[in-house]
Amino acid sequence: MNKQNYDVLQKIVGDDYFIAGKENLVPYLYDQVEYTFRPEADETSIVVKPGNVEELSQIMKYANEENLPVVVRGGATGLCGGCTPIEESIIISMERFNRIVEIDTQNMVAELEAGVTLMQLLEELDNYNGISFPVHPGDEGAQMGGMAATNAGGARAVRHGVMRKHILGMEVVLPTGEILKLGGKLTKNNAGYNLTQLIIGSEGTLAIVTKILLKLYPEENYTASLVVPFPKFENATNAVIEIINSGISPLAVEYMDKFLWKESAKSLGMHWQAEEGEADLLIMLSEKTEEALIKSCKEIYQICKKHNSLEILYAEKKQEQLELLQVRGEQYNFKKKWIYDSFDMAVPVSHIADFIKEIKLVSKEYDAPSSFLAHIADGNVHNDMWLVNGKPPVYAQELKNKMYEICFKYNGTITGEHGIGKIRIKDLLLMKSKKEIELYRGIKKVFDPNNILNPGTVLE
Amino acid sequence: MLEKKAPNGVLVICEQSNDGIHRVAYELLHKGKEIAQSLNEPLECIVLGYKIQALSELSHRCADNIFVMDAKCFDKPEEVLYKKNLVKFIEDRRPNIILIGATEFGRSLAPRVACALKTGLTADCTDLIINDEKDFIQVRPAFSDNILAHIKTVTYPKICTVRYKEFDEADIDIEHKCKITNIEPYFTQVDHTTVSNIFKFNDKAISEADVIVAVGRGLRDKEDLNMFGVLADLLGGMVGASRAIVDAGLVPSSMQIGYSGNRVKPRIYIACGISGAPQHVAGMKESDIIIAINRDPSAPIFNIADYGFVGDFYEIIPMLIQRLRKRGF
Amino acid sequence: MNIVVLIKEVPDMTKVKFDRERGVVDRAGAPAEINPFDENAIQAALNLKKTKENVTITVVTMGPLRAEKSLRMAYAKGVDKMVLVSDRAFGGSDTFATARVLAAALKNIENIDLIICGEKSVDGDTAQVGAEVAEFLNIPHSYYVDKIDFNDPLDGEVIIEIEHISGNRQERKMKTPCLVSVSKNIAKPQLPTLKRKLESLDKEISVFTIKDIKGLNKENTGFNGSPTKVSKIVVPGEIVRESIIYRDDVNDFLDKVEEVLASKGVL
Repeated sequence: MNKQNYDVLQKIVGDDYFIAGKENLVPYLYDQVEYTFRPEADETSIVVKPGNVEELSQIMKYANEENLPVVVRGGATGLCGGCTPIEESIIISMERFNRIVEIDTQNMVAELEAGVTLMQLLEELDNYNGISFPVHPGDEGAQMGGMAATNAGGARAVRHGVMRKHILGMEVVLPTGEILKLGGKLTKNNAGYNLTQLIIGSEGTLAIVTKILLKLYPEENYTASLVVPFPKFENATNAVIEIINSGISPLAVEYMDKFLWKESAKSLGMHWQAEEGEADLLIMLSEKTEEALIKSCKEIYQICKKHNSLEILYAEKKQEQLELLQVRGEQYNFKKKWIYDSFDMAVPVSHIADFIKEIKLVSKEYDAPSSFLAHIADGNVHNDMWLVNGKPPVYAQELKNKMYEICFKYNGTITGEHGIGKIRIKDLLLMKSKKEIELYRGIKKVFDPNNILNPGTVLE
Repeated sequence: MLEKKAPNGVLVICEQSNDGIHRVAYELLHKGKEIAQSLNEPLECIVLGYKIQALSELSHRCADNIFVMDAKCFDKPEEVLYKKNLVKFIEDRRPNIILIGATEFGRSLAPRVACALKTGLTADCTDLIINDEKDFIQVRPAFSDNILAHIKTVTYPKICTVRYKEFDEADIDIEHKCKITNIEPYFTQVDHTTVSNIFKFNDKAISEADVIVAVGRGLRDKEDLNMFGVLADLLGGMVGASRAIVDAGLVPSSMQIGYSGNRVKPRIYIACGISGAPQHVAGMKESDIIIAINRDPSAPIFNIADYGFVGDFYEIIPMLIQRLRKRGF
Repeated sequence: MNIVVLIKEVPDMTKVKFDRERGVVDRAGAPAEINPFDENAIQAALNLKKTKENVTITVVTMGPLRAEKSLRMAYAKGVDKMVLVSDRAFGGSDTFATARVLAAALKNIENIDLIICGEKSVDGDTAQVGAEVAEFLNIPHSYYVDKIDFNDPLDGEVIIEIEHISGNRQERKMKTPCLVSVSKNIAKPQLPTLKRKLESLDKEISVFTIKDIKGLNKENTGFNGSPTKVSKIVVPGEIVRESIIYRDDVNDFLDKVEEVLASKGVL
């Protein structure tokens, strides 16, 4: 970009909201992908922070005319390099789109600007007795626009599904600068192609989300978390399938390797109370009444006992439940220094035991150290490949391909929730037909004729 | 012997330790003087301890009368012994209002004294008011500091503990004269408790710090942390960090402030090179005063700061340290 | 060794709302739970039970009938007996009246050796009831205790350590019966088992009303028996920040910083 480009952009957003210079750029370049396999950012990029949709539209019109690549940055909590500029780009930071426009308690819909964080939304909903929003990707710094663009998931998908299920409409700015309003506060709406759903999960390649209409739900006030240790992994998966099929609908069922629970607790200065067993589940429950909660607990107790569970722990206080989630979250800090690559495969729930068993077996063939955690009741597995003596393992590519083969054998996907971003583009080709990729390219071309919006994401 | 009389006067109970008289006493004398004047009553204080050192300083602080019990038995604080002596003294002296510093010992001693006197106690006050009807109103935070309750006591004496650093200290006035009366302890031992060992207390957690100097992604090198340590020491505070530099392995996670770290509420929070990501802000937004230094004028930290400087903390912090040192720190 | 743990049921503070205009605290949307500080007291007692023989723990709370839920949770965690002190007449008690009721109620429990309570409650924030109970019972007490031990229950003595008192750490030997108020650092609360949680739902609770407790009447308890009265509640406004941002005038900024540090008592 040249001085003139800078001047035009600076004029649109104002001096304070234009950032250039390698050193100033550092906080705007990466998301949460591990250092070892994150895409390298182009440090000659610049950052602009538009204050409203008109400024954003002007920026896009200009960028499109000048053929300047644009990368949109939300809360940067992503895990596939989506918001990292890999060539000299205009980075659009959405943080000023931070207004909660409306909480409509009649239609149970929130109108939110794209930069509103999940934390901000949850705090606002606290002011309304009994209203909540259930999707929770883990990091509350995530922004609404990003959660929509990446179709965020998280642990609670077991009961509540992913972001796609809850977005009724949005306002977007197209790469060519036009502003579009899509959808509405409608339960039924069959007028035309559903572009809202197309843009959800498009990872910032088709349009820039500036506002969303988000479905809200009555709060379930009675919650509990159970820590259920089993002697063997198979016991745990069998119990999970029986729980799901019995009609109990847990908020989340999380599996993590025993050593991860223990070490993560330790690094938080806590002690993992479930000493025995080899496979611990964290089952989160949420119900409208206390009776319903107790009933679910009793049923789960019976099912787990049947599958040889050891002493089950019960957490009811908000603080206690939060601490269990903290331990769950801390595993990343604990293991990140060893991670080379992190996976996000998902298979049908019924295959999850076999899937994990085979992945473990094939890892063993290579003597590859690894760790596992899983949103086990929705079939989504996060396993890691570790560095060997601090270096990427020589078998990395080979092992990855073998794991994907196992995944495809069980009709799975290479990414359940993190997305393709810039790190799984080649992998995507392994699971998609030529024709499907061709359609993607066509759609991209219609939205973004000059390929300026987040180039190098999803598609090459 | 002291005479029996109707409730009269404001009495400050001073706490004595290895380091002399706890400074909250001087603050209580200042506030106590105001109250005593508006009620037209005397201001008195009592100090129990062993080898009490700061009496001359205390005597210049505006009390009309100082009572002293200096005896070996008060060497190591024990509530029941202190209580027995204080209760006897109070029953003789009949003060109207009693102020006690809300230190750990004060919080432990005051309920014991109040209960023995069958009177009410208001804990941890942050303000004391004499209203137009000459009622003594005690203002205290409750519900984890979310509300302020105004409380009246309907029995005598009216006793309260008062938080440290809520009021200015009473000035030292060399001209001020007051009467110092030594009293022999009425009781010198208790048979149920032996205080057998004393050593210095443990380090505190960052969530308890009064001042926090926090550093974020703007930090270039681990070595540069020293500068923050120096500033924190000068201000009697601690160094905190944002998640970015904890993740980068520059500081331990015990220093992390934010949603997934420590939640803090110091008097002063100085944020250096911290952009103010929601995750960080969630852990510190309730600080009394927030001061932010950041090179990026659009950094969200400025939206929640009381005072901010757009610039490089590598230049500002050494200047601030130099200024504080000039003040004789 | 018979241990009593005094607990209080409080609202989950993160869910309590404060109405500034009306000066009202709204607990309606806040679920009730065991006061967080009391969790440490319960755990301190449970840890003694784990390591010593013949320890019996009774958990006692004063509150409305629904407070039995917190007692049951304590049972789930491993205490042996539950006592609920509950009477309409006790409503509106300040700390003094509360301590009077609790102390009188404790006389119904035989051979208490040690009373443990939490540092303070998160709704009242006073930290007074413990020492006042000790005074009513005429037994010694210690606050901010982070270690409790005893050799032989027959010694009639516990050895405790106080985290912080007048700038020091202190070790004390206290004759039993005595009361200790524990700091958060004494013991990390543990989770109950689901099995015991489910069992707790139909365990028997002893309920003491005003008739069951000697020395109490409607005049010396509740609002009537309270020497302190709340005359007004003020809910402070949201923190409003001035956001004064300096750009080139370093010295003006540093002057301001020094001024603020001084005004906050830091210098």
